Amino acid sequence: MPRVNPIDSSFFKDERGPGDFTVIGKTVPRSDALGHVTGRTQFFEDRTFPDLAHLKIHRSPHHHALIDSVDTSEALRVPGVLRVLTHEDVPANWYGVLRLIGIGPDDEVVLAEDRVIYRGEPIVAVVADSEAAALEGASKVKVSYTVLPAVLDVEEAMSPDAPVIKKAGTNYFVYEGHHARRIRFGDVEAGFAQADHVFEWRYSSAPIEHAPTETTGCIVEPKPDGRLLIHSNTQAAFFTLDNTALIINRAPTDLQVKGGTVGGGFGGKVDVMVEPLACIAATLTNRPVKFVYTREEEMQVSSPRAAERIYIKDGVMNDGRIVARKIMLYVDAGAYARHSPYGATKAAAHLPGPYTIPNVYADCHCVYTNRTPSSAMRGFGVTIADFAIESQMDRVARALGMDPLQFRLVNAYRDGDMKAHRKEASGTALIEVIQRAAALVGHDLPAEYQAMSSSTPRGAIA
Amino acid sequence: MLTEVHVPDDVDAAVRLVSSGARALGGGTSLMPWLNDYASPPTELVSLRRAGLARIDVAGEAVTIGAATTLAQVEQDERLEILNPVVRSIASVPVRNLATVGGNLFARQPHGDLAVALVALDARVTLVGADGSRELPAGDDLPPFIVTRVAFALPAAGTFRYVKAARRRWNSASIVTVAAVVTESDGVVTAARVALGGVGPRVVRAHAVEAALVGGPLTEQAIGVAAEAGRSELAPADDAYASAWYRARVFPVHLRRALLGR
Amino acid sequence: MSVKIVNLKVNGVDKAFMARPETTLLLALREQLGLMGAKRGCAQGACGSCTVLLDGAPVVSCLVPAATVDGGDVATVEGLADGRRLSDVQQAFIDGFATQCGFCTPGMIMSAEALLARNPDPTADEVNEAISGNVCRCTGYAPIVSAILDAAQRRRERAEGADQEATL
Repeated sequence: MPRVNPIDSSFFKDERGPGDFTVIGKTVPRSDALGHVTGRTQFFEDRTFPDLAHLKIHRSPHHHALIDSVDTSEALRVPGVLRVLTHEDVPANWYGVLRLIGIGPDDEVVLAEDRVIYRGEPIVAVVADSEAAALEGASKVKVSYTVLPAVLDVEEAMSPDAPVIKKAGTNYFVYEGHHARRIRFGDVEAGFAQADHVFEWRYSSAPIEHAPTETTGCIVEPKPDGRLLIHSNTQAAFFTLDNTALIINRAPTDLQVKGGTVGGGFGGKVDVMVEPLACIAATLTNRPVKFVYTREEEMQVSSPRAAERIYIKDGVMNDGRIVARKIMLYVDAGAYARHSPYGATKAAAHLPGPYTIPNVYADCHCVYTNRTPSSAMRGFGVTIADFAIESQMDRVARALGMDPLQFRLVNAYRDGDMKAHRKEASGTALIEVIQRAAALVGHDLPAEYQAMSSSTPRGAIA
Repeated sequence: MLTEVHVPDDVDAAVRLVSSGARALGGGTSLMPWLNDYASPPTELVSLRRAGLARIDVAGEAVTIGAATTLAQVEQDERLEILNPVVRSIASVPVRNLATVGGNLFARQPHGDLAVALVALDARVTLVGADGSRELPAGDDLPPFIVTRVAFALPAAGTFRYVKAARRRWNSASIVTVAAVVTESDGVVTAARVALGGVGPRVVRAHAVEAALVGGPLTEQAIGVAAEAGRSELAPADDAYASAWYRARVFPVHLRRALLGR
Repeated sequence: MSVKIVNLKVNGVDKAFMARPETTLLLALREQLGLMGAKRGCAQGACGSCTVLLDGAPVVSCLVPAATVDGGDVATVEGLADGRRLSDVQQAFIDGFATQCGFCTPGMIMSAEALLARNPDPTADEVNEAISGNVCRCTGYAPIVSAILDAAQRRRERAEGADQEATL
């Protein structure tokens, strides 16, 4: 029954040790499967408490607006409502998840103060005896707004005429004083001047929601010793613990995160979205509090993969060598930074793709707009950049009348090549992977391409 | 907020409760998603599950389906073979075991594919209110009374056509749904009833398509002409499944596939 | 607001509990009866994580007000194993690596059990239709379909074995 793919050991024979794999190539049962098939695996929500309270959020209907007033009196009158929380109940309302690794400024609020900068931004949390009462209470919160013009496009946000939506004063994340994460290698303009052809195309992607089957959530349980036990489906237990401690102004040792069982994450559960408010609510009511997104919240306000827009300009010789590549990349972080500054850096680290190009210039912008904040998702920064780069490779090959695999083989990096980040390439295997893939699909490669090797220095064939 | 769930044993009790402001609940597959996650005014529900409305009667050509009959019951009833592809194109197995025939009449487009078929079959809907019962053609706006049954005559063998185009093979809302009863004699269409889903805020009875088809042969060219005539009857919307443009663009293809099978 | 006493047979055992108007069958199973196998993934009837068998048929329990199924017979994933012996579907899911995060697994298994109860020898396409209401967002559908086909074969072989034993 189990399908085991044989290991292809024909490549890099002399780099292999003795064949002493003990796991690879063998079938090892999953340690969690028995729990999954019997329904006994305990996800965060799979526990009940007789006095469990529920937390629901009143959210902004506007992309960008000033908050003139907030009236919670009617919500408090809903039978079963225990508390309403506003930003004044959050000890340290401004935060940024990446501050734990020294990245700032703290640009996000747990609950909105004087303005909202995306549709769905949380303003008031309502804690109630039942889920129905919490929903009812959240619907009774009254907020009046002065609606402001919204910026919904990355390039529009970068233009000098755009309204500035961020407190820090720019609609982009500032990387060590720069407007973007940059790559400067060689002289890209000289490269274009020397090229036989110059091609430039634009690539763009929409936001992508992880849509985990289990929505984001937690239950926070006040313990008799005053500590808070956080049952969470976070993918990042310690990130959550430390950020929550900072937000609620408690010692990290006051908190315990119990989790690790995640009903689908894909990067969508690494932000710290539910635990701080549930901790505050649990402290104020001295009851266990559940805060779990509805499916609509998961789809509408949980961070998606960022939309990206990427311009790639290539200078190419008739023989297929790329001599210059310039990339303008825009990551739509949405309203708040979350993990996007890191995502844009990852994009920069990934450019110009696994190809050896002597002249490279790239600006990777992390741009703020009045859209849902984006954040981590499976290879964020890299995946869309790859889509753009490999689409570009196909288009350039077609424009040159070249076989797209041969075009890649000509430019594929090899051991010893200098990459645009000024690191020497090592352990490369792109050439061998392309050769094997071509063989598997019956795509014939000429002898000189079949003879190429990642460990043969560049120039030996050209 | 839900304040009460009634489960009456007969239709009269259900009618009384609805007359006093309660909401009728068939399988719950449209109403419950809303009530689960959103604040609502105080709401009483009247479940029709035990009201004796879940039965299928076939006498000769005459079919009567109780309103609380589930789509799964229809799917599994060999006498209603012509509706089998219709109900199987709707939602998924665990939803069809709840969703009811009566409830489908109230489903909002691009859902409600059974209602599309019922319009093509010229079905009659029986409703009961406090002041008695009445009968309306399927496809008409229904007042907020309790639907007790739908009735139609089985069409002649081979005359009923149905195609639903969706994003996925199973369990996806309609992009374009075509249901039709087309009668031919000596290679000429003598009668046609064509109903469309997914292309407007409600089920569309495609009168212009029917008029164009009647009197001629059922050929690819004739269907193309009929589809062109039918364009003015479409009022599709953009949604998560397809754009209005796409729906209008592919409508002729699916009309052809429904009527010619290719 | 009225609270009703609801009686159900759950996995063969008679149970009674108090249901508020908003108590769905799913919430009753989880919060009143402590059976956490059925999951709340969407509360919209769209993901199938809450699939249980009601009077033998798979339903999305999140859309069923508990008061409307008083007297019903409910089967959940917790009732499938006989002691430590798993059902063929459960065992095939383990052997075929048909689980990833595990959140969809109980609902997926209940849909599979319902399919095999009425169709002992399904095609892959019939399996696809049967699980079309169960979302696996880890996108492990291929091993899930294989596991269900494998379970069907195990069940048939077991039934043949039982027949042979009976004739001996």
